Amino acid sequence: MAEINMTSAADGSLISSYIPDMDAVITIVLILVAAYLIVKVADFLLRKISEKAGRYRITVTMVIPLLKIVVYVTAVYFIVKTIFDPGLTELALFSGLFGAAIGFGLKDFFADIVGGIVIAFERPYQIGDKIEVSGTYGEVTDIGLRATRVVTPDDSVVSIPNYAIFQEPTASQNAGKTEMMVVIDIYIDPRSDAGKAMNILKDALITSKYVYISQKRPYTVLLKDYPFYRRIRGKAYVNDLRSEFEFRSEVTRRAWVELSRQGILPPPPAHVPEEIFAE
Amino acid sequence: MGRDPNFAADLTHPILFEDEWNRITAVVDAYDSNRPSHIAVIADPFAGQNVLIDGILRRHPDRVIHIPFFSTVKSRDFLSQIAGRKDIVVMDHCHFLATRKIGGFAMLDAFLDHISTSERLFITQWNSFTWSYLQATRHIDTFFPVTIDLPDIDSKTLKPLILSRYTDEIEFIGDVTPREEPLFSAPHRTVKLPFSNKSFTIPVPRLRQGNGGANSIHPEDAEDAAFDKIIRIADGNFGVAERLWNATFDGKMVRVADIPGIPCAVNLDINESFLLMIILSMESISTVDLAEIAGPEINLKQAIFRLTNQGLVVEEKGYFQIKPEALSCVKGYVTRNRMVW
Repeated sequence: MAEINMTSAADGSLISSYIPDMDAVITIVLILVAAYLIVKVADFLLRKISEKAGRYRITVTMVIPLLKIVVYVTAVYFIVKTIFDPGLTELALFSGLFGAAIGFGLKDFFADIVGGIVIAFERPYQIGDKIEVSGTYGEVTDIGLRATRVVTPDDSVVSIPNYAIFQEPTASQNAGKTEMMVVIDIYIDPRSDAGKAMNILKDALITSKYVYISQKRPYTVLLKDYPFYRRIRGKAYVNDLRSEFEFRSEVTRRAWVELSRQGILPPPPAHVPEEIFAE
Repeated sequence: MGRDPNFAADLTHPILFEDEWNRITAVVDAYDSNRPSHIAVIADPFAGQNVLIDGILRRHPDRVIHIPFFSTVKSRDFLSQIAGRKDIVVMDHCHFLATRKIGGFAMLDAFLDHISTSERLFITQWNSFTWSYLQATRHIDTFFPVTIDLPDIDSKTLKPLILSRYTDEIEFIGDVTPREEPLFSAPHRTVKLPFSNKSFTIPVPRLRQGNGGANSIHPEDAEDAAFDKIIRIADGNFGVAERLWNATFDGKMVRVADIPGIPCAVNLDINESFLLMIILSMESISTVDLAEIAGPEINLKQAIFRLTNQGLVVEEKGYFQIKPEALSCVKGYVTRNRMVW
């Protein structure tokens, strides 16, 4: 238990200063180390288990942020108990200091923590999801108390403050599922046989090694006419969202091999769709 | 409905899939040429589906046109065989009608076009994984009002099927500990570290339990224990159970401890997993067909080597098929990886 020193100030008021003794300091350090280790070990184990869990991968990783909150909140509770063993006075004092800390500049920090708690319980996205927040698209690799880490397709790690979920719309491409819809566009010469091209793209989609099709996860092939080209759009689910780009690439490559074989051409160079340049 | 006398008298496996047999015969007996209820018999590889097909051929020899497929169908010639007065068409291994590649569904479409307008009754047999795939992608189930999924069998079904083949008495030995085992030994065991693919062989000290036979299964229970173990390892698949039996039975006796367990350690990349799934779905596929499906992205030779090396696939006369003993392992693997749905 920490000692409580009561000293008299020049103005005569009593200032309470809490000076933790060495035992308390060691206890606090041990609590922090234990909490850190528990979180790290549990995180490691759950990620390993999730990799073996196939389609339940994301369901398993969902537990990680919850676990972090539970462990850290428990650790904070024990630390506070070690230092103050709070009675009503100490609790009031602590609350006051806490409020002041928030007011004096830790506002964003606590907003992030509250955001982390909201993410853990409300689950707008989970570890393993593909999300888009604040113009960043990528796979969620960690939901910390303060920030969410996202790995972008070009392998950059972006930390998004958790409070962003209060301010920005968050798009989760897969909503906790392992499969994810992928949209694949192919542009052809308007004089080409669009029906044949649609059949080829359909076959390329449903025969892909990455595809996942079920009653709730159907595939579609759509045609849209533009003045100088036609767009064939295929929509299908990739069986594991990590293979999104491989799926897109494999379907496009195989479709074009067959389209070329069947004499279906891309649009003339002067009329290449603007979307292609945008990409 | 009682047991069909023809079925019971003629077939090698008189009580395998009796309920399914009764369903088929009921549909055949109620056949109406204006609205034929085509039948799809869906089964895992080696499940014993040929029992039902053979049964139909024996029951209606004068009414049946039999079209068995042995490899990927590449021409519409099979449709020309469907002619004459016979009103039932029995088709084996219909999964050979579709190939998982661009343009690989032409034969299937031709077949579905044919049955859509035919007055004959089609009894077709499909690989369960190809069926699920075609159900998801081509809604094939809408063409077959009667679908019969062959169930896994249990040891109570397996036991009489196997024992009915022998007239001499078979000795069942339930000892778990081999009698020659010394009191103390240190057999080598291969262990895998958690979350690592590396295996290590280490000696594990072991004290013989009991007196080298005292901890055995009671002789009266040994027979049931043997069939329970076989069916558990075979995961209810009749063909695999049959192979396990053949591997264990030495002509006179069966020792429960000798029934081989099947290790399941699969480590494949996406291309190898895909090929494994294709072989599972096609049951038997040639190198040429496999190469067409694999395309240039997959190094077929290397992939096949790894599949064979891991004990998952065997080659027979240029055709690849799943090693029967590895069926349960392969099924679990491709299902977990969402290669089959």
